[in-house]
Amino acid sequence: MEKVGVPMRSIYDFNNPFTSPSASEIDELADKSQSLENRIASLNESYETLKRREVELTEWRWVLREAGGFFDRARGQTEEIRHSLDNDDAPLLQDVEHHGEGEAAAAADRSFSVMNIGFVAGVIPRERIAAFERILWRTLRGNLYMNQSEIPEPIINPENNEEVSKNVFIIFAHGKEIIAKIRKISESLGADLYSVDENSELRRDQIREVNTRLSDLASVLRNTKSTLDAELTAIGRNLAAWMVIIKKEKATYETLNKFSYDHQRKTLIAEAWAPTNSLGLIKSTLSDVNDRAGLSVPTIVNQIKTSKTPPTYFKTNRFTLGFQTIIDAYGTIKYREVNPALPAIVTFPFMFAVMFGDFGHGLILLLAAVAMIYFENKLLRSKLDELFGMIFYGRYIVFMMGIFSMYTGLIYCDAFSLELPLFKSMWEWDTNDKGELGPNSHRIDGYTYPFGLDWRWHGTDNDLLFSNSYKMKLSILLGWCHMTFSLMWSLVNARYFKTPIDIWGNFVPGMIFFQSIFGYLSFSIVYKWIIDWNARGQSPPSLLNMLIYMFLQPGTLEPGTAPLYKGQATLQMILLMMALICVPVMLFLKPWYLRREHNKARAMGYRGIGESTRVSALDDDEDEGHANGGRQSFGDDDDGVAMITQDIGHGEEHEEFDFGEVMIHQVIHTIEFCLNCVSHTASYLRLWALSLAHQRLSIVLWDMTMKIGFGFTGFVGSIIMVCIFFGWFMLTVFVLCIMEGTSAMLHSLRLHWVEAMSKHFMGDGVPFEPFSFKTLLEEDPVE
Amino acid sequence: MANGWAPFIGAIVVAIFCAAAWFLAPKGENQTTWRSTLVLSAVSMYIMWLITFLAQLHPLITPYRPGLRPEH
Repeated sequence: MEKVGVPMRSIYDFNNPFTSPSASEIDELADKSQSLENRIASLNESYETLKRREVELTEWRWVLREAGGFFDRARGQTEEIRHSLDNDDAPLLQDVEHHGEGEAAAAADRSFSVMNIGFVAGVIPRERIAAFERILWRTLRGNLYMNQSEIPEPIINPENNEEVSKNVFIIFAHGKEIIAKIRKISESLGADLYSVDENSELRRDQIREVNTRLSDLASVLRNTKSTLDAELTAIGRNLAAWMVIIKKEKATYETLNKFSYDHQRKTLIAEAWAPTNSLGLIKSTLSDVNDRAGLSVPTIVNQIKTSKTPPTYFKTNRFTLGFQTIIDAYGTIKYREVNPALPAIVTFPFMFAVMFGDFGHGLILLLAAVAMIYFENKLLRSKLDELFGMIFYGRYIVFMMGIFSMYTGLIYCDAFSLELPLFKSMWEWDTNDKGELGPNSHRIDGYTYPFGLDWRWHGTDNDLLFSNSYKMKLSILLGWCHMTFSLMWSLVNARYFKTPIDIWGNFVPGMIFFQSIFGYLSFSIVYKWIIDWNARGQSPPSLLNMLIYMFLQPGTLEPGTAPLYKGQATLQMILLMMALICVPVMLFLKPWYLRREHNKARAMGYRGIGESTRVSALDDDEDEGHANGGRQSFGDDDDGVAMITQDIGHGEEHEEFDFGEVMIHQVIHTIEFCLNCVSHTASYLRLWALSLAHQRLSIVLWDMTMKIGFGFTGFVGSIIMVCIFFGWFMLTVFVLCIMEGTSAMLHSLRLHWVEAMSKHFMGDGVPFEPFSFKTLLEEDPVE
Repeated sequence: MANGWAPFIGAIVVAIFCAAAWFLAPKGENQTTWRSTLVLSAVSMYIMWLITFLAQLHPLITPYRPGLRPEH
């Protein structure tokens, strides 16, 4: 098949590649492929025989032609030789002269037999010719006359389709034995010998005959080939479908092999995980199959009670798939744990948009995503290259990103780095003595710009001063919101898994610690904003210094500054104390509680299997290992997963309670949590840094291209403008949207994986791997 | 027009939107997705707007721009 190169139809041409094959289909397929194989084999065989005949005939034709040439050339020489041999045989010579050319040749030919010279003619591969010559020379001690010439066109070997270039040779020698020897040698070297007649007329007849046979053969060959081709194309059209059916059948049997056989009751028993809410579907499908197959024995579905942790399975649709993949890439969610993918549907693109905020760029993203979603079905079937395939996979993520980027663009008042004057500005330019506008401005009394940043900041000298302060605080506040939100999920998890110690030993002290420092910082930021400091006639205190003094000299404020509010120093003191108290609580409460539970269980005489404390101890260990988050705890991660899988293998789910180990885990968890509160809050400043970079880059791009373009006027100016616009747009799409977008996406990804998921994610689940023809075919596609 | 009460008005609007999203979300197996996505989007957009609004409520610096053209 490959030899001929017949194309196959793609599997998508068949209406429904994912349905299961029926039994009759397979039998039919087996019969069909059997008969087809026989037919193809016989066709191939006859084709090859014919081809071989053709090659032989071609070679013979070449031999005849070339040998004829040798004889003609040799004639002159023989005449000379003959002259020397029988000098007085004049009448014969005259006779030759009298009877024209043909007779002369015949006479010359005849003279070979007179001289007792025999010859061998044949064809040999060109690379062997040197060896052939040498061997002949040595064995015959030079008693031969050899002539050879190359066949200009390569000869095709029918068995393996290789091209071989060959030479025609003809050897003259004395004596029957020598000729026989030459024959043997040449045959052993892979030469094909052909009979050539000395008589030139006979030779001509031979050539004619060979030619007619060749042409006959060629027509037969053509017919055979066309039937063969037709047969192969017919197969090629269906081969993909057949391969799919075979693959499905193979996978089904592999799964069936996993069933265990009950000898006493003569039944097959399959144990498998199934989603609870599709149990009904499973039962009805099985009974359907039973009815259709007409079996007398029904298939029975039973639910088995087990202490093993079931695998994690989340039903996804086209929209949620991308987000679920993001989360699954970090770790498999523990069974029945809160799925972080659900809030990530919003928070992931939103964090992206905070860094990518530009109305125009957001619009480009949105349009691209809408186009991909619109042509979804077509694109799903076609083969995409790696990069585009990745973007297409996340098309709904890009869609959400586009929407939120447009929103944050409106908030930042940026569209391709230009301002968007949607509402009346809250600033008016002052007029100076000469009646000119600026440089200072004043505020319209009692009016605040209603939506987003005021557009009048665009292009001002102190634009960066204002927007940096705003975006920095925005990042801190959003980070605080996101982390508090994520921390709440650990409460939900603890409540679901009924581990109150996780609430009192981890969640509550952690929350108090976090809020008393960073919640207070967020509160101060907002408080500082809503106080009208100008009206008070005070200069507001710096929040950064406030935080530093809160730690370095508790109970005092920065010298020389007014307090934010009354009793600030005392409140800060109390908050700090609360945070400090939470540390030992977090450190000791949980290990102590676990130890007490364990001892209590021991005292009551519980030992061996099914100790509730042990199970919970295991859970807690895992919890600590994973709640740490960050890169440091990857080692723990592996251990946890390995242990769980081992458990499934052996069906044991408890281990010895080791107080030291629990304590170490808790110490690591506490230290990491406290340090991470600081570092993660700082980490959210990337929102500010990236949005600043994005905005500045798009401003620079605009100034370097379009702004220069506007300087030209007239006809030439318009042409220049078109070129510049093209360049600007290309750079906008590739640099600002694709490059910057990728970097913003990676940062958003990090914020979710590290900053948010470390607050609640356990992630020691085992993925659910249902048997599906669809995934089977996707993993190993039929080419 | 827009004064100190705006955040509360915005909060009420968002609350109404969230309630509507909660009750009007399409029924079926995707109901949770609909609800959480709509509510969370509304809340995060509101927070973003609120922060921006509050930052400009009592700004400490004013725009400074030399070299303005008269009509600007």
